[in-house]
Amino acid sequence: MKTWAGSHIQACARAWRRLAAQPASSLLSVLVIGVAISLPLGLYLLFTNISAAASRVNTDPSINVYMTLDASDADARELEKRVRAAAGTAGSVKFVSKEAALAEMKRVTAFKDLMASLDGNPLPHASSLRPAQADAALLSQLRTTLAGLPKVERVVMDFEWAEKLRRFATFAERLVFLIGVVLAMAVVFVTGNTIRLQVLTQREEIEVSRLIGATRRFVRRPFLYFGATQGLLAGSVAVCIVAGLAAWIGSEVQALAGSYGAEFVLSPPSFELAAAVICLSAVLGWLGALLSAGLYVRPVR
Amino acid sequence: MISFENAGKRFPGGFEALKGVNVRVDKGEMVAVTGRSGAGKSTFLKLAAGIELPTQGTVTVNGQNIGTLKESGLAILRRNLGLVFQDHKLLFDRSVFDNVALPLEIAAYSRVEIGKRVRASLDKVGLLSRERSKPIMLSGGEQQRLCIARAIVNRPSILIADEPTGNLDQEYAAQIVELFRSFNQVGVTVLLSTHDQTGLAGLACRRIALDAGTVTS
Repeated sequence: MKTWAGSHIQACARAWRRLAAQPASSLLSVLVIGVAISLPLGLYLLFTNISAAASRVNTDPSINVYMTLDASDADARELEKRVRAAAGTAGSVKFVSKEAALAEMKRVTAFKDLMASLDGNPLPHASSLRPAQADAALLSQLRTTLAGLPKVERVVMDFEWAEKLRRFATFAERLVFLIGVVLAMAVVFVTGNTIRLQVLTQREEIEVSRLIGATRRFVRRPFLYFGATQGLLAGSVAVCIVAGLAAWIGSEVQALAGSYGAEFVLSPPSFELAAAVICLSAVLGWLGALLSAGLYVRPVR
Repeated sequence: MISFENAGKRFPGGFEALKGVNVRVDKGEMVAVTGRSGAGKSTFLKLAAGIELPTQGTVTVNGQNIGTLKESGLAILRRNLGLVFQDHKLLFDRSVFDNVALPLEIAAYSRVEIGKRVRASLDKVGLLSRERSKPIMLSGGEQQRLCIARAIVNRPSILIADEPTGNLDQEYAAQIVELFRSFNQVGVTVLLSTHDQTGLAGLACRRIALDAGTVTS
C-alpha cells in the first residue's frame, strides 16, 4: 500500500515537474483548453439563467374570443354564457366589453392621441378564457367550438408563444449539450496531442525505463497525472473566465432587463457547477492522456 | 539460474539470429559469450534479459519461463537483473546521480534509501565525486562505469552485460573486467558478451563461443 501510494505521489510530482519545466507551452495548452471549456459552460449558464427567468413568466394558456363589431350587448351576454359553458367548471372566463376595452386603450398614454382622433369605438366585445387543462388537443378542440359560435370574429390562443419558448429552451439545451460534447472531444484530443509530444520528447527515458524494469503502467502514470492536472487547471480557468464575464456584464444585463420592466439576473456558476466542471475537465484530460499514452507507449520489444 | 533449451530467435523478415541453443548458467558463475559481430551474442543476452522472446524452445531465468510471462511479469523480472547495454543507454539530460537512481525510482524506493544505494553504487565504480555531473561530461570509460553503477544499484543476483569493453581502450577495459570479477566474487552471476577476447585475457571464466547463431564451443 505504501509502495503503491509512493509510486502515485512520485508520478504526480513528475507530472507537475513536466508542467513546470515548460511553463509557456503548459500555460498555452491550459488556456486553449480553458477557453474551449468556457464556451459550453458560458452558454449553459446563460440558458440556465434564461430558463429561470422564463419560469417566472406566466405561461398559463389563455384563449381570447373577439366578436364582430356589429355584435350587440345582448349578443355579448349570450356569447359569455356559451363561453362559460364551453370552458366548464374548472376554467375561468373574463368578459371585456368594447367600452371597457376602449377605456383601457385610452388609459395607455401611447394610444391616447390615436383614440381621440377616432369617431367611434373600433374595438369589439371580447372574452378571455383560461382553461383548467393545458392539453394541446383539448385546447384545439375548444378553439374550434368557440370559433363556431355566432357573432365570433376571431379566436386567438394566447399560449402558443409559451410553447415556442419551451421549444426554444429545449433546442438551446440540446445545442449547448452538442457544443459541450464537441468541445469535450476537443479537450480529449488537445490533451492527447500534448501527451503524444511529451511521449516523443521523452522517448529515450521511456525506452531506458522499460528496459530496466518499468511496467507500462509505471511509464503511463505520470502522463495520466499530467493530463488530469492540465484538465483540472483548464477547468479552473474556464470557471474563472465565465464567473468573470458574468460579474462584468451581469449588472448591465440586469439594468437593461429592468428598463423593459423585466427581471433578469445573470448568476455566476454555483460552487457545485464549478466543482463539477473542474472534475469533468480533469477526467477529460486524464482520458486524453490515457488514449494517447496507450497508443504511443509501446511494448519494450 | 539461466537456462536455454533448444532456444532460437527468428526476427520478422526471416533472419534467424539464434538456432537451437542449449546453455545453462548456474548461480554464481561468470560466463563470457564470445563471437564475431553478428554471431548472435546480443540476441543471446536479450533473451536472457527477457528483452526479446524466443521463437523456438524455452529460456528460463530464475525459474521463470520468459516465453510464458506477461509484459508486466517480464518488467518485474528485468527489475531483478542488472543490465549493462552496449550503447550505455544513459539519459543525458539527467545527472549521474539521477541516472543511477532510475531503477530504484521504478521499484518505488524511498528518497532516503535511493540516496544511500546510489552513493554506494557510485562509490563502487569510482564515480562518487561525479554524482552531480551530466553523463556528457564523462569519458567513455566513466560512462561505462556509470552504466554498471545503474545495473548494480538494485543489488541484482544476475548481471548481464553486452559488450561492456567494446569501445574502451585496454586500460579501461581491464578496469571494467576487474569490476565484473569483483561482483562475481561476492556471488553475483555474471553473463557478459564480447567480440574481443583480448579484453578477457587472464579472466578465469567459462566461455561460450557463438557463430552464426549456434554454439560452437
